[in-house]
Amino acid sequence: MHELSLAQSLLEQLLGLARQHNADTISKVTVILGPFSGIVADSFDFGFNILKKEYQETKEAELILEKPTPEYLCLECQHISAMEPAESQIPGVAGIITGKHSCPKCNSDRLSPQGGTDLILKQIEME
Amino acid sequence: MCDVCGCQLHEHHHTDSKVVEVNQSLLDANQKQAESNRSHIEKMGAIAINLISSPGSGKTTLLEHTIDALGDSLKIGVIEGDIETERDADRIRAKGVPAVQLTTGGACHLDAPMVHGGLHVLEHFCHGAPLDLIFIENVGNLVCPATFDLGEHKRVILLSVPEGSDKPVKYPTTFKGADLFLITKTDLLPHFDFDMEEAQQEAKTIQPDLDIIALSATSGEGFDQWIAYLKALVAKQVS
Ligand SMILES: Nc1nc2c(ncn2[C@@H]2O[C@H](COP(=O)(O)OP(=O)(O)OP(=O)(O)O)[C@@H](O)[C@H]2O)c(=O)[nH]1
Ligand SMILES: [Mg+2]
Ligand SMILES: [Zn+2]
Ligand SMILES: [Zn+2]
Repeated sequence: MHELSLAQSLLEQLLGLARQHNADTISKVTVILGPFSGIVADSFDFGFNILKKEYQETKEAELILEKPTPEYLCLECQHISAMEPAESQIPGVAGIITGKHSCPKCNSDRLSPQGGTDLILKQIEME
Repeated sequence: MCDVCGCQLHEHHHTDSKVVEVNQSLLDANQKQAESNRSHIEKMGAIAINLISSPGSGKTTLLEHTIDALGDSLKIGVIEGDIETERDADRIRAKGVPAVQLTTGGACHLDAPMVHGGLHVLEHFCHGAPLDLIFIENVGNLVCPATFDLGEHKRVILLSVPEGSDKPVKYPTTFKGADLFLITKTDLLPHFDFDMEEAQQEAKTIQPDLDIIALSATSGEGFDQWIAYLKALVAKQVS
């Protein structure tokens, strides 16, 4: 649900940037979606692609969502490791399941998610 | 045909494309409003607590019992977030405490601009008299509220015994941002296979600095600890 309002605020920001740079169209938008942002990539993408059609400047814009690999701090040995999200238990639903991984150095499963809580507009391409 | 200028040539517009590095958080606008809410709350003399949980974990019941337990010792104000209805605010008002109801009309979380509006209404209800504690009861939802700072000083996550002890592992983002984890409805422990050890350990792994209190509004078990936590928070603000 809130993915839609975040997509809307992204579009408003894009329209402002297009005006500021005297661009007619925005062709490409790169957004970094933190693995612990609580924002669902598919919903955000879906919302963006519907809402972008409302504006001349953005209707052809291609959204690229960069999803950095989640990082975990080992509470036993302080080693930081990057890990692919575990297989979700629920078919069709992507999930990050902490506590199911273990530290590649000491094998502890006390892994604490690090950073990755933000949603960042990284780069745009305009014409 | 080029649909920008109607000419027959494709290429000319596409050659002067321009790349701009923006690197700005889409949550910036909310974050800025949250910072300003925090100073607004401090000017009101108060500490604010953001209560987050699934629907029905016992947020409003916790507030009702907290108001009873604190009596006149602290001045409380409440901001209630719900998708619809004034019901939760009415429950708080019945206790003689000023309560603002924010109805989000479908939105799954409160955000900082909504709470900003709520703070002004709360000030109006209190005729400018200072408050010690402001509780913000978020929309019942264990996922979305975690993304939005409201300007609170402490974020409290409630998980009730019937929901199961696997929730911290399943909702790491929510627990990562929390300051206090309240395990509620502990009077129901005999009826559910809730693993107290698992819930606490997993939550602590995700957020090592997390405080944890287990309590029941019904039996009163553990409630003293919660009241002591609140009093300590307010006392720190004063000194
Ligand atoms: N057994 C038991 N039931 C409780 C306790 N606290 C709350 N409840 C019950 O749980 C139900 C939901 O409580 P609420 O306080 O309305 O929950 P809430 O989190 O405010 O719900 P929403 O605002 O709808 O998200 C009610 O029927 C309460 O009586 C408790 O400590 N023990
Ligand atoms: Mg409630
Ligand atoms: Zn949502
Ligand atoms: Zn380790």
